[in-house]
Amino acid sequence: MSKKQRVATAIADQLASCGVKLVASLPDNWINTILATLDADERFDHIAVNREESAIGLCAGAYMGGTGSVAMMGASGFMTVIYAVTKINYTYEIPVLIFVTLRGAFGDYQKGHASNGLYLEPILKAINMPYRIIDKEEDIPEIAKIYRHTKALFRPAVIALTRDLLG
Amino acid sequence: MKYLECFKFLASKRRDELVVTSAGNSNQAWWAATHDTRSSFYLGASMSLSTMFASGLAFACPAVKVWAFMGDGALSMNTGMLFVERQMDLPNLTHFLVSNGCYGGTGNADLPSRNLENDYVAIATAMGLKRVYSFDSLEALEAGFDAAVSGDKPGHTFVVLEVERFSEEDEKGLGLSPMDGPEMKYRFGRRVEELTGADVFGYRV
Repeated sequence: MSKKQRVATAIADQLASCGVKLVASLPDNWINTILATLDADERFDHIAVNREESAIGLCAGAYMGGTGSVAMMGASGFMTVIYAVTKINYTYEIPVLIFVTLRGAFGDYQKGHASNGLYLEPILKAINMPYRIIDKEEDIPEIAKIYRHTKALFRPAVIALTRDLLG
Repeated sequence: MKYLECFKFLASKRRDELVVTSAGNSNQAWWAATHDTRSSFYLGASMSLSTMFASGLAFACPAVKVWAFMGDGALSMNTGMLFVERQMDLPNLTHFLVSNGCYGGTGNADLPSRNLENDYVAIATAMGLKRVYSFDSLEALEAGFDAAVSGDKPGHTFVVLEVERFSEEDEKGLGLSPMDGPEMKYRFGRRVEELTGADVFGYRV
């Protein structure tokens, strides 16, 4: 099994272990193996959305129906959901776990992601969004802990996946 | 069709449906028609996401019918949501598109198309939705509502309601649900727990 597939399978197992059923996503090259793995896994319903804000809406509604969910997106996608997250998740105190890619960090040579390297983490801090960077396979078990934390505190949180983990 | 008369009729047809309203006029009109504080989620703090929220809810609660209201201003902001609704094709979800040609939540500002007629039935049909209905008068809505909405349906339902904009005089008599976000969450979530047996919050009181 390739490292990419091993990581994707480990993430799927983490999500299943804490009762996640719905995965709403918009792709990023770095997470396509994860998305394909979740899509093929009968433990999940994977919904490809038209834009990242729709994923935030879907997950909030699923939560209000008692169903576990996560949103997955690229760093650029996360930059577009500040409105939805602060309006829905902060106003109503609805938890959601959002996976993003840590684009623009050291090792990502895509020039188009320079802005994410500069601003993603400062923006997470500016909106008081708890986040955890995961860049080693042995840290993947943190996912279930963070998911349960969001549900216990009725707060959203972000897990940022690195190129070293996903590459 | 008068906006409030339309919503009063819808309220008279509502049984155990969970309702999600959008920011703006549908929020005001549903509150005026029902004063519901348990089975309606007034998603005022969000533009263009009421039907995505409702889709997640309907997915989670397949035995419960869910109605979602959205203005055509919201549809203008996020038309691609219809692709997601088509993909999910939830038979327990009805998307009511309230068409009044303006951003009702922001002082009735015109939509980008201004006075051009927007054919939302054509848009929804072209985007692949199958069960698409449109009503431009209260009489037509009364006559066609059951065929479009009532009972069990084979897939997602999209209903265009052509209504008049609120006048300044109309708006003077309208309020908003007084609940803040967390209170609404708990009231609605507890109602979901009653209806479905689901565990929304992880504890019961």
